[in-house]
Order: sequence, then C-alpha cells, then structure tokens
Amino acid sequence: MLSLLLWPAGLLLEFALLVRSVQTKTFTKYIYFYAYISCVFVVSAGLFIGHSRLEFYEAWYWPTQFATLAFGFGVVLEVVRQALAAYPGAERFARRASCAVFVVTFCYVEWQVARRAVWPTEAATVELERDLRVVEALVLATVLAIVFYYRIEIGKNVAGMIVGFGAYVGVSLTTLALRSFLGPRFNAVWGDLQTASYFFALIVWTVALWSYSPNPKPPTTGRNDGGYDALVHGTRAQLESVRSNLRGVGGS
Amino acid sequence: MIGLLLYLLVGVGLLVFLWVLTRRKGAPVEGCGRQFVEARQALRTLQLGLLPENLIQRIFDREDFRYVMAVSPANIGELFLQERKRISLMWVRRVRCEIRNLMRFHLNYSRLHAKLSLLTEIRLALDFALLLLACRALRILLYMRGPYGAGALVGVLTAAAGRVCAASEKSLAFLNPSALESFRRSSAGDGAAI
Repeated sequence: MLSLLLWPAGLLLEFALLVRSVQTKTFTKYIYFYAYISCVFVVSAGLFIGHSRLEFYEAWYWPTQFATLAFGFGVVLEVVRQALAAYPGAERFARRASCAVFVVTFCYVEWQVARRAVWPTEAATVELERDLRVVEALVLATVLAIVFYYRIEIGKNVAGMIVGFGAYVGVSLTTLALRSFLGPRFNAVWGDLQTASYFFALIVWTVALWSYSPNPKPPTTGRNDGGYDALVHGTRAQLESVRSNLRGVGGS
Repeated sequence: MIGLLLYLLVGVGLLVFLWVLTRRKGAPVEGCGRQFVEARQALRTLQLGLLPENLIQRIFDREDFRYVMAVSPANIGELFLQERKRISLMWVRRVRCEIRNLMRFHLNYSRLHAKLSLLTEIRLALDFALLLLACRALRILLYMRGPYGAGALVGVLTAAAGRVCAASEKSLAFLNPSALESFRRSSAGDGAAI
C-alpha cells in the first residue's frame, strides 16, 4: 500500500530532479548521477504503467532492477570523482582501495553465481542483488573513511548524493539480508522499506541538488609533488624517535 | 546466521558512517598557510608551553609534596596529591592533543600530493595510532599510580615529544618571518589567515 502511494510521488521527484538538472546546467557536471536517475525514471515509469498486468511486471522487474543496480555503480563513481577531485593523493588512495574492494567482492559474487547450475530463482536473485549491494556499500564506506581520515570538505551536492544513495543502499542491504533469511513472509515489509528508503533518497537529492553547490576549493598553495617524499621522511623520523622512547617506557 | 550478521553489519555500518557524515562539523576550508601556521602553533605550544624542563619539574617534583606533608596536616597533603594528579593528567592530555595537531598537519599536507603512496599512508596511520595509544596508556598509568608513580615515564615522554618538536621544526623551517612574507603573498586571499 505504502509502495503504491510513494511510487507516483517518487516519479514526480525524479522528474523534478531531471528538470532542475537541465535548468541549473548540472546534468553534465554530474553526468553519472543523472544517468542513474534517468535510468531509474524510465524503468520506474515503465513498470508503473504496466504494473496492473502482473505478467508484464513479473517479467520485467528483475531485469530492470539489475539495470538500475548497474547504473547505481555510476553514483559511487560520481561520488569518488567529485568528492576527491581536488585531492589527487586522497583520490588515488580511494581509487585503489575501492578497486581492491570491488574486485574482491565482485569475484566472490561471480563465484557464487557460477556455482549455481541453473539461472537464479527469485530467492537466488534476491541474494545476488544483496551481494551487489554489499559491493556498493563497501566501496561507499571506503570512500567515506578516506573523506573522514583526510578531513576532506565536501559540498552540499556531493554530500546529498552520498547521504541519499548511502541510506538507500544501507537499508536495501539490511532488508535484502533479512529477506533471504526470513523468506517470502518478509516480502511486504521488505517492499515498503525499500520503496520508503528510495523515496527518502529522492527527497535528500531533490533538496541537495536543487541548486549547484560545488565542493569547497582546497588550498592550492604549497602543492608540490616533489615534496611528498620529504614529508613522509620527516613524519617517519618523528614517529621513529617517539617510538624508540616509548619502547623505553614499556621497559621501565 | 553468521552470513546474515555480516550483511547486517555492513548495512548498519554504512548507515552509521552516514550519520557521522551528517553530524560532522565542517572543517574550515583554509589556505595551506593556515595549516602551516596551526602546525607551527602546535609546535610552539609543545616547546614553550608544555615541555619546558622547569614546568615538568614543577608538576612532577616530589619536593613540593614532601614540603606540604611536612608543614600541613595529612588531609591537606591528600588534597595536594589530588590536585597534582589532575594537573599531570591535564598535561598528558594537552601533549596528546598537540601531537594530534601535528598528525593533522601531515594529513592536510599529504592529501594534496599526487604521488601519495597507499602503503606508506597506511603504515603512517598505524604508527600515529600506536603513538596516540601509548600516550593514552601513559595517562592511564598516571591516573592509577599518581603523578609521582610515573616520573621516569614522564621524563621519557617529554624527551620523545621534544625530539618530535625538533623534527617538526625542520619540516616547518621555511615558516620563518622572511618566508612568511612570501607565503602571505602566495596564499589564497579567501581563506588564509596568517
């Protein structure tokens, strides 16, 4: 019931987001994010039009769900691209760490799929979606950890993308895990929670992306690629001196 | 069941991260000049405010305690001991805080370098974490054994912190008055506070 109420409202918000992106000329600035919104809008509108015909809906739900899931990785990519663009060091760190997380988790998921003799049943498809959500959640968490560690300041637009998409992925992952554990009796709650979390994400995105708000500019003075080795050397020397003394502390 | 718990952990963990993100106080976007000046201030606080020998001696010298015990009743001695313990704990906390400032300086500076090494940064992060943990351990020791029960450790930490300052001073050597002038000219005007 809740899903049926939020569905058209969500379509309106998606449409508003796309219209605003054209008005504020942010569509090309956040191309991966808006590609995701466009994909979800088309899929969601199509399913809404045909949802009265059960056969159509059942035939198209999972394939389209995986299409939006694949486009969802674009949002993660957009977050990495935008949040860390001005910090080449941190961006490189995030890219490598995210790639490592992505490859390891994706290989695990592929291995799980390959073990199945037949094309996944509905329950197995839920598990597959859950596993792909894990990849998104871990990559997003890695990026957030780097943002926190390096105290990187992010603008309203990117913060909105992270909060909205993160909340949706977090709730989806939790409910999908519960659904594969509890079975079909959890379906009704799962559907409502999934829709509500996506609707929440849409509200966050609409508010955060209503106007263009770029990331604060980082300091540019003193940027010197040749200085990193010297910086690391200096920091290491300090730490080594402290550590040698703390060994003394332990011994006394 | 373990699988379910792991999935829930990842999902809930991500939501906690998001909560922290929304609660995070925005660090001011200052010019690099401000970061250097803050690092310099942290060094100065350590060198002039927290690590001078006479200050350390004053806080941890047993003579004061002996004098108080000799001329005052026992309860005054107890009170004196409590106060000294409080001051010594405060001192360790401040030293730790200033070391954190130096760490922050490293992070603020290193994140801008394109040649940043993932492994090096992970190792340094672990090193900093261990050092801060050691400071905390010293604090616990002072808390349990009192200001006169960890005299040797205080001496060692003071010497170590002094060496950190010396090393950091070399990193920030360019921030002398003549360098500051050129720095002021090259800093972005919208955020630098020199």
